[in-house]
Order: sequence, then C-alpha cells, then structure tokens
Amino acid sequence: MTGADLAARITAAIPDAVVAVEESPTDPVVQVRPEVLHAVAAFARQDLGMETLRLITAIDRPPETIDVVWHCLSMPQHRTLTLKTRLPRENPVVATVSDLWDAANWFEREQFDLVGVHFVGHPNLKRLLMPEDWVGHPLRKDYQRPEEYHGIPTARDRVVPVREVAPPMHGPKAAEQDGWMLLNMGPHHPATHGVLNFLLQTDGEIVRKATPDVGYLHRGIEKIAEMNTYAGTMPYTDRVDYLGGMATNQAWAMACERLLGVEVPRRGEFLRVIAVELNRIASHLIGTGSLAMDLGAFTPFVHWLREREYINDLMERICGARLTYTYMRIGGVARDIDRETLDRTLQWLDHFEPMLGEFDRLIGSNEIFVNRLANIAVMPAEAAMSFSLVGPNLRGSGVRWDLRRDEPYSVYPELEFDVPVGRGFRGTVGDAYDRFMVRMLEMQESARILRQAIARIPDGEFRAKVPRVLKPPAREAYGRVEAPRGEAGFYVVSNGTERPERVRIRTGCFTAMPAIESLSPGLMVADIIALIGSLDVIAPEVDR
Amino acid sequence: MLRLIAQRLQSWLNLPGETGAVLPALAVMLGAALLAFVFIAFFAGPVTWWERRVAGRVMSRIGPNRVGPQGVLQWLADGLKSFLKEDIVPAAADRPLFLFAPYLFFGGYMATFVVLPFGAHLVATDLSVGLLYLIAISGLVVVGILMAGWGSNNKWALFGGIRSAAQLVSYEIPSAFSLLAVVLATGTLSMQGIVRAQGGWPWEWLLFRNPLLFGMFFVSFAASLAENNRTPFDLPEGESELVAGYHVEYSGMRFLWFMFAEWGNLWVIASLATVGFLGGWQIPGVRPEVIDQSTGWAFAGWQALSFLVFAGKASMLVLFAIQIRWTLPRLRVDQMMIVCWKYLVPLALLGSAGVLVLVALVPEGSPVDWFLRAVSLGLGLWLIIAYVRKARAAYLADREPYRRLEGKDPWYPPYRLP
Repeated sequence: MTGADLAARITAAIPDAVVAVEESPTDPVVQVRPEVLHAVAAFARQDLGMETLRLITAIDRPPETIDVVWHCLSMPQHRTLTLKTRLPRENPVVATVSDLWDAANWFEREQFDLVGVHFVGHPNLKRLLMPEDWVGHPLRKDYQRPEEYHGIPTARDRVVPVREVAPPMHGPKAAEQDGWMLLNMGPHHPATHGVLNFLLQTDGEIVRKATPDVGYLHRGIEKIAEMNTYAGTMPYTDRVDYLGGMATNQAWAMACERLLGVEVPRRGEFLRVIAVELNRIASHLIGTGSLAMDLGAFTPFVHWLREREYINDLMERICGARLTYTYMRIGGVARDIDRETLDRTLQWLDHFEPMLGEFDRLIGSNEIFVNRLANIAVMPAEAAMSFSLVGPNLRGSGVRWDLRRDEPYSVYPELEFDVPVGRGFRGTVGDAYDRFMVRMLEMQESARILRQAIARIPDGEFRAKVPRVLKPPAREAYGRVEAPRGEAGFYVVSNGTERPERVRIRTGCFTAMPAIESLSPGLMVADIIALIGSLDVIAPEVDR
Repeated sequence: MLRLIAQRLQSWLNLPGETGAVLPALAVMLGAALLAFVFIAFFAGPVTWWERRVAGRVMSRIGPNRVGPQGVLQWLADGLKSFLKEDIVPAAADRPLFLFAPYLFFGGYMATFVVLPFGAHLVATDLSVGLLYLIAISGLVVVGILMAGWGSNNKWALFGGIRSAAQLVSYEIPSAFSLLAVVLATGTLSMQGIVRAQGGWPWEWLLFRNPLLFGMFFVSFAASLAENNRTPFDLPEGESELVAGYHVEYSGMRFLWFMFAEWGNLWVIASLATVGFLGGWQIPGVRPEVIDQSTGWAFAGWQALSFLVFAGKASMLVLFAIQIRWTLPRLRVDQMMIVCWKYLVPLALLGSAGVLVLVALVPEGSPVDWFLRAVSLGLGLWLIIAYVRKARAAYLADREPYRRLEGKDPWYPPYRLP
C-alpha cells in the first residue's frame, strides 16, 4: 500500500487530517495536522492494524518548527506507516499516544527529555536520561550546556572531586514509609549487565514493582552524530551495542547508503553478512551464558566465553579489533576477508555446532534451570508487539518476525535459514525459557547462514566508490537491520550539508525496559534477575 | 596484666579456688584453641585450592598453579593477602554485631571438630552425646549469619541473612531426622560408638544396612549441603542475586573467617556423612579391638592407616560436593523451601520411623538382615551403573562430531574429550 492509499484511507475516516504525503519504497510518510494526531494514530492502530510503534522522533528545525515522527508497523500485513506532524517551536504540544501503544510511554519521555516536546495526557512525563532537575533540552539546536550541575562543573578542564560538591542524591524514601522495602538493584549489580539501576519495591522476596532507572551510560551518541560527518560517526555506532557492534555498523551504513543512493557491491554484502552473523553468535553466547550465570551456574558461561574468544580471534583477523569493530564503511566494508580466515571460520564451525548440544545437556535441559525459567515472566504476543519488543524477545513470544526475512536487506533473500520462534518449549509461549531457547536456535541458524555465505561468496570489489566528502541531499532514511538484540535502526535526517540534521537510534533494549516494568509485579527478586537475563538487556543500548 | 585478666575473669565467672589458679587453665585453653586452629587450617585451606583446581578442570581452564608445586600453597598466599588487607567497617553498621559475627560463625564451625573421629583414637573428645552436640553447636552458625546480615546495615546483606536463617532452620530438620535414623540403628550418640557399630567392608556400613538407611544418606547429604550454603542451595550468598549476601560488607581477615568456615564446613559435612553412613575410619578386614590392643609403633601405624581411610572417604564426598557446585544452577527461594518441606522432611520422618521398625523387628545377622543388606548393595550398584551409563551416553553423543575433527590441525586450541 502506497502513501497515497494510506492517506486516502485516513482522509476517509478523518477529513482534513492529511497535510502532505511523501512516497518512499520502505516507509511512506503521511503528514497530518497536530490537532488530529491522536485520532489518526488511533485509526492506524485499530483500523489499519498497526500494532507496533517502532519509534517516535522529534526533530528540532529552527527557527520555526519541531517535527515529530511516528514510525508505525503492522507485522502481519508487512506494512509500515510513518506519521509526521509539524509543531510550533515556541510551544511544541501534541497529544500522547501512550494509551494506544505501550512502547510510546518511554519514547515520549525520551523525546520530552532531549527535545522538549510536551505530550499532553502522558501518565508520567518525566525526564528519562537526564537528571530530573536538568535545565534545557540537549537536542535543541540552540541548546547551551549549563556551566555546572549542583556545583559539579560540566567541562572537562575544571575537575572538582564530586564528593566535595555533590548533594545527597536521594531524598526521603517515601516507598519505605508505607511498608514496602525499597531496594536499589544497581547501578553496580552483577545481574544488571552494565550500569543499569532497578528500584525494587519489595515485600521480602516478592517484588511489587521494579522501576528501571536509566541514563547512567548515556553518552549522547545522537548528539555526537549531529556534530560529526557521516563517515566519522561509524566508530560511535559500535558503542551503541558493544556486544553486537557489526549490526549497528551495518544499520548506520545502510541508512547513509539510502541517503546517498549508493549500491554496495555483492562481495561487500557477503562480507557484511559473514561479519554480522559471526557477531550474532558471539552476542548470543554472552546472552545465553550470562543468563546461566545469573541463575548460579558459572561453568556454562566460561565454556561460552571460550567459544567467543575464538570468534574474537576471527574478528581480529577480519577487522583488527576484537570488540569495537568499525568494520563497515559507507558503500561496503573496510577491508577484504582473506581465504584463510574463511577457512578458519568453517573449521571453527565444525567444532562449535556440536558444542550447542553439549551446552544443552550441561544447562539447557537441567531440571533446576528449566524450573527457574519456564512459566516465568510470560510475555503474550499481543503485549510484545505493543511494547515493541524486537528480535529474540519478540520471537520468544511466538511472533515470526525477522527483518532478515520480512524486510529483506543485503543478500539475505538468497540465503536459506529458518526463523525460530517460541513454542512453549517447557511451559508457556513467551516465557523466559522460550526467549533463551530462541537464542540457542538462532545460533544454529547463524551457523547455517555462515556456511552458505562462505560457500557462495563472489569475487570482486568489496567497497563501492564513494566521494571523499559526503553531502547527501536533504531527505530522510531509516536503515534497520536484525541485530542480535533485535532491530537496530538509525533514522537519519539530512539537510544537504556534511553533517546530519538529526540522528535517531532505535535499539532493542530500550523498549525492553518498560516491558520489565510491566512484567515485574508479583515476581521474586531472583525472577527479576532471570527476566533481565532472558531479555538480554545491556546498558549501552538502553542509554546510547 | 594477664594475671589481672585472670582475676577479673575468675571473679566474674565466680569460680572457686585460689586467686590466679585460673591462669594455667586459661593458658591451656588458648594453646588448645591455637592448636585446633592450625589443625583446622590444614583442612580448610587446601580444600580452597582443591575446589579451584576442580573448578578449573570443569570449566576447561587451569586454576591456581603458581604458588608451590601445582599451586598447593595458594591458600597460604590467599590467607596472607587477606590478613594484610584493611578491615573496613561501614560507618552505618551496627559495630559490635558486625565485628563479632565472623567469630561466632567460625566458632560454631570450629567447635564441631572437637567430636569428629579422624582415626581409631584420633579424636579430641569422644562425647557420649557427640552427635547431639554437633547438631546443636552448628546452630551457632545461624546466629553468626543473622548478626552479620543485620549488623552490616545493608539490605542485600539482610536478604542474605534472612534467607540463610530460613534455610538453616528448615534444613536442620531433615538433617537431624536422618541422623536420628543412624542413632536408632547404632544405639549410641557417641561418634566413636557409631563408627564402631559399623565395619570396614561396604556391607558392614550403615549405608548398606538396609534400603531405608541408604535413602537417609542422600537426604542427610542434601540437607548438609543446604546447611553449608553450597550450590544448588547457595541462596544466602548467591553472587549474581545478592552480590555476596550476608558477608557483602566484610573485607580482609573478617571476610576470610567466613570463607574459612565455609570450606572447613565442607570437611565437616563430609566427615559427618562418612562417620554416619560410610563406616568412618574402619579399616576393611581389621577389627577395632586389634587396634585397641596394639602398642608402640603398631599402634601409631594403625592410627595413620585409619586416618587415611577416613580422609579418603571424606575427600571423595568433598569432591562430590565440589562437582555439584560447579555443575548445577541455583534454586529459587520458594523452590528451596519446597524441596525441604515437601520432600526431605517427610522422607526423613518416614525413613527414621522405618528404621525404628526394622531395628526392632530384624535382629542383626538374621537372614532378613542379610537380605536387606543385599538389596541396599544392589541399589548402590544400580546407582553406580546408571551413573556410568549416563556418562557414557554423553561421551558417545560428543564423540561422533569430534571424530570428524580428528586428523585436522585446528588453529584454535582444540577441546579434548576426556
């Protein structure tokens, strides 16, 4: 369905709603009037079947306006709809859609925090990444960084020991007064996989509510990207997801290629696939291994780390780095992979595939392990789509949605692979064990893809010729790939100069956080750890 | 100064006798405590090294191998390091409780060594109520853990302390009842008495006396693991949940006391199972009377031999506990309680009642007695065969894929089958 068709259906339901239509092969954009936004969104949700809200982006366009963009998706119909509206910059107010999509809650909080758009009717419109008493909205173009925050200088050349100036961060603990124990799980806790904080309201072992408190690892990559050239942003994309850097590399490269209209040579695409799939295995090794470690079994984790070490050795041969790869380039990859590395990859796969069975006997089929995960934190398919869960977390709920298959990119259509989904392997569809099992099965599929890709890799160029200075015309592109933690996407708006107007990063873990909040009531403290582990949440993806 | 302390102590305890007469007694007590400490250190210390080496094997890495041959002196280096570390007391901690808790914890464990019979005559004191004393004195450990958990003024430590208290109090019941079966079968509470009621050969052990006692052994061992906070019952300290549980705020030597007691306790639970079910120090084919009547070097030789037999059995159980720890994940707190109250407690109750009936009805040496022994031996044999078959099945499942790797020269260090 093209943008014009979508606009026609919206106009039929809500007259005078549509202002303009932009056609695009992937994401047709319908621009609507801000006053009717909520009505249009509700129409899209209910009548057009858009169960998933992919992303909310606010773009500051001085001097007059702020654009807000909603990327909606209907998985069963394979259809996208992008709503756009234009708000006055002085008073950017628009209705919330958090009553329609659960995922909108945090997206709106983040955009309020960083760009300063007020979403009317939002249940809890507080800052998300910045401290609550921060002044200004950092992604506004005219943002001036405050000189200091509570006496702590923000510039690096004036260093003051924090303990001399910092006030006590927490006020009176209201939650403790009404009989609940308030427990800070994090920011330094071994089960939160990075600097994440969960405020647990507990009654002994039973958790009443787990509120994620994020922003400890917020490095402002979106802001950095605005001040950087297109090619210069590539190294930062590794840091978005340090366990799956290849995929975020690829997403950024794809977004820029769509802006510039660059074709990647076939060999380049195959090299990308090989690198990303190796990286996917490495990431899932950490995901499943650390889940086992969170449940008290240390041995499986160490065995998986050993396997990952071999992948790191391969990665070192491929791109010279073991963790932050920066392997992709706009138009291809940084360098070719030699025949010996490919042979070594095949040789390692011979060794690795039997290990999956061993791992299953060691921990995956262990009675205690199964009982700790089965029927815990069940995420039904409907809720998973509404929370905009992606990747293995979504597929664990039984939704067969994989960007490699459903929004084909690169050379994936030529390769044969299955998309494993949760089937209630040991309990209910969508429980923690299903999410674990989907990752295990995905490693098998990645091994299959690797073997095919290595067998079919063609000769030729691995990188397209692109100009030294990249100046894409003023347009927008959304490059998204199936990363180990689900959809990793870069929504880039260019303005005709060397630097992008706005970069918006969509990661899988960000939308998993409100899901934790909604799944937590009634679980035990140990189950919260199993839940976080089974969602494979890592902090840099949440905060970016 | 010392005399003054002695006087104070004497008047405070209201002891009779001349002023200062308590001094020699005090000196003897101190000396004995020091001796016991050194003795215990030689049990607890090497186990830490052993555990880490076994863990290394399990995880396909090496483990500590630098200090001394194959790293056997690693535990001394660790101890020295902890000794030199700063002893940090949190500002908001309940100071007296915080400072005293490790000693109570360690004391509760150290006192159990008094009644453990390491050999035919190698026992500090053979109390007539030895088993009862052992069960009672290990209750001190709960108090130590609770004090540490509460005194740290840390919610995670409190979590660990409360979990531990719930766990220890619950698991004392199956543990005590399964040991009651031992007492019923042997008719004595004295540790040496229990050993002497058994024999050196496996069919003379209490383990194979009858099928009920065979089952009781596993109940007792599982409950002991839980009492010692070992995986799969390591909830009080679960490092990925509670960071370190009740000892999260401790550092330096005070932390070491906890670790010390924990690994020493491994020996205690293994010794208890050995004494209660596996015939203790009894040497196969040698009656205890032979040892009693020997003199001189022969006597010393028998002592050494019986100690070796005891240490061999106990260390096999220690190895078993270590392997369990590095294989299994952790139970959740409600599952831990379910295991205790729904399975172990009824089993232990039924088992001890059944043993009572069997003891009353089946005289020792009767055909029925021999039949029961044969059945339990058969059970044991079946267990071993099932274990071997399972291990073999796992081995065969892995062998085929690895055979394909044979003859190739892999670029990575290959994973070898045992």
